[in-house]
Amino acid sequence: MLKNVNQRIAIVLALISIIYLILSYQLPTYPYIPVDADAIPKALGWLLLVLSVGLFFSKDRDSEEQKARRRIPKKDVISLLVVFVLVFLYITLFEALGFILTTILFVFTCTWYLGYKKHLVNAIVSIVFPVALYSIFVYLLQIRLPAGILPF
Amino acid sequence: MGALDGIATGFQVALSFEGIMFVLIGVFVGTFIGMLPGLGPISAIAIMIPITYGMDPTLALVMMAGVYYGAVFGGSTSSILLNAPGISGTVASAFDGYPMAQQGKAGKALAIAAISSFAGGTISVILLMIFAPMLASVAISFGPPAYFALMLLGLSAIASLSEGSTIKATISAVVGFMIATIGIDPQTGTSRFSFGSANLLDGIDFLVIALGLFAIAEVCYLIMNRKKKSIGSAKEIGSLKLSKKDFKEMSGPAGRQSFLGFILGILPGAGATIASFISYITEKKIAKKPEEFGKGSIKGLAAPEASNNAATSGAFVPLLSLGIPGSGTTAVMLGAFLVLGLQPGPMLMTDRPEVFWGIIASMYIGNIFLLILNLPLIPYIARLLTIPRPMLISLVIMFSFIGVYAISFSTFDLYLLLAFGVIGLLMRMFAFPAPPFILAFILGGMMEQSFRQSMTISDGSLSIFFTNNISLVLIIVSVLSFVFPLVQAIRTRKKEKAEA
Repeated sequence: MLKNVNQRIAIVLALISIIYLILSYQLPTYPYIPVDADAIPKALGWLLLVLSVGLFFSKDRDSEEQKARRRIPKKDVISLLVVFVLVFLYITLFEALGFILTTILFVFTCTWYLGYKKHLVNAIVSIVFPVALYSIFVYLLQIRLPAGILPF
Repeated sequence: MGALDGIATGFQVALSFEGIMFVLIGVFVGTFIGMLPGLGPISAIAIMIPITYGMDPTLALVMMAGVYYGAVFGGSTSSILLNAPGISGTVASAFDGYPMAQQGKAGKALAIAAISSFAGGTISVILLMIFAPMLASVAISFGPPAYFALMLLGLSAIASLSEGSTIKATISAVVGFMIATIGIDPQTGTSRFSFGSANLLDGIDFLVIALGLFAIAEVCYLIMNRKKKSIGSAKEIGSLKLSKKDFKEMSGPAGRQSFLGFILGILPGAGATIASFISYITEKKIAKKPEEFGKGSIKGLAAPEASNNAATSGAFVPLLSLGIPGSGTTAVMLGAFLVLGLQPGPMLMTDRPEVFWGIIASMYIGNIFLLILNLPLIPYIARLLTIPRPMLISLVIMFSFIGVYAISFSTFDLYLLLAFGVIGLLMRMFAFPAPPFILAFILGGMMEQSFRQSMTISDGSLSIFFTNNISLVLIIVSVLSFVFPLVQAIRTRKKEKAEA
């Protein structure tokens, strides 16, 4: 029954709209306000529900081009996931270790992992950019980025 | 302040040392980012926003505008040299530009593109200077109902921003609007969909969404395609010189299409991409030798190049004078205004003339810089295209992080950025266009407020939108501009069926 992708997406969207609608109906309302804070969310929730039904029954099928866009080799999925893990670690350590250290580590590892072979160039870039940007932001623009364990 | 005084103020800003410097930085960065295949003007503007924190808003916006039209200008270089358009607005430039480059006339093609872009940019700035103040002086009397109708007109663009499926574009817009409802409702103070999280009370920052859906999602695609050899080394460029005959041939299309591009740029949803295609098609239709198109025709290159640059300035008309973005890119530009504490709209011209006129005046100078940058220097700049993709990926992630962190100072928003990157990637994979999402996200909040203000004025009666002449006309126009692309799509589909 759920042969095409659009139908599967439509069901996910319908579920999202139902959750959104349930939450919208729980919003408090006040008397004497012609259009309260809950009106637009309710309308949007219903609209999305109707649109997902429309998508479910819509005739346009995936073109070959779109299918090709989704055909991702397994190797690329893995590299994507590894980069996501790296980004996740980057965020988690961002404030604790500070901008400079985490960014140097991130830029170097990520560039290296993705297949860049000139390690010296990589090292120079991954040190120069974070240090330069940190100085510009903190000393020139007066916007504090996390210093972390470094004293400056 | 009269218009002449305003223009004088504008040039004072644009010709000051800082003004010139920031225009130059803006157009240079824009040209560079625009050239990189995959990264378009939306990413370029979003990545540059953090640099503007703490800067003088006028200079910051002069620079951001430079990034925008610089990106459109720069996009043509990779279209011509590599047949890999840097941005969608320059896809049509590759039709004739790339064949020319293959014939060993890359230098000539680049020169034609640069001069046509310059013509398009300059002619349209003159038109912008005339039309934006006119529109602003009309819009100054607009009340909430007219504003609501205006935003509806902006949203009607989603039909033309769709990549084939209008229903998907509409879904994308509705979800964008839903995201805009997160946070405290400014009218009643009700906290909506924040799940008790203090991080969500202020709503989600637009930069998180712009960088996530565009820059991070583009990075994901780059990761998967990093080994594809689309970026070859730029070949011998050849002479940049144009003959008198070349000039004669390009002057017609460049002139005509500058006007057409400007008009299309003003319309919601049209923008540089559609303008360049329409211009290409019209020139082909009226050409004496249409068979030359696609094989390296000078006219076929001059037309889209003049048009996409003219459309870029055209898009500034509704943005500066009404405060209404008509495309994803101008929506992000509007976000840049808001980050700097400025509200574009009819009051901008009278309240902050230096910003309004400064941006417009700086465009003349920016276009001259672009011509200089793109003519003699382009072979050298094109070498930057060989920046290795792994490094580009890491650096774009880093820039996006700085941008988001410097606005919120919380890692929560960085996780959100990652989440929106995943959403953006999924949207691309399943052919849901992202521009309607960001457009609805930015317009949504404003639209809800003006709708509810109107309803408070009318005590809950919808008739207020139809008794007010301005809003009535605007609502009719927005319905038409939503329906028209649909009807056209159905017509072409029927035609295809009849032919098949």
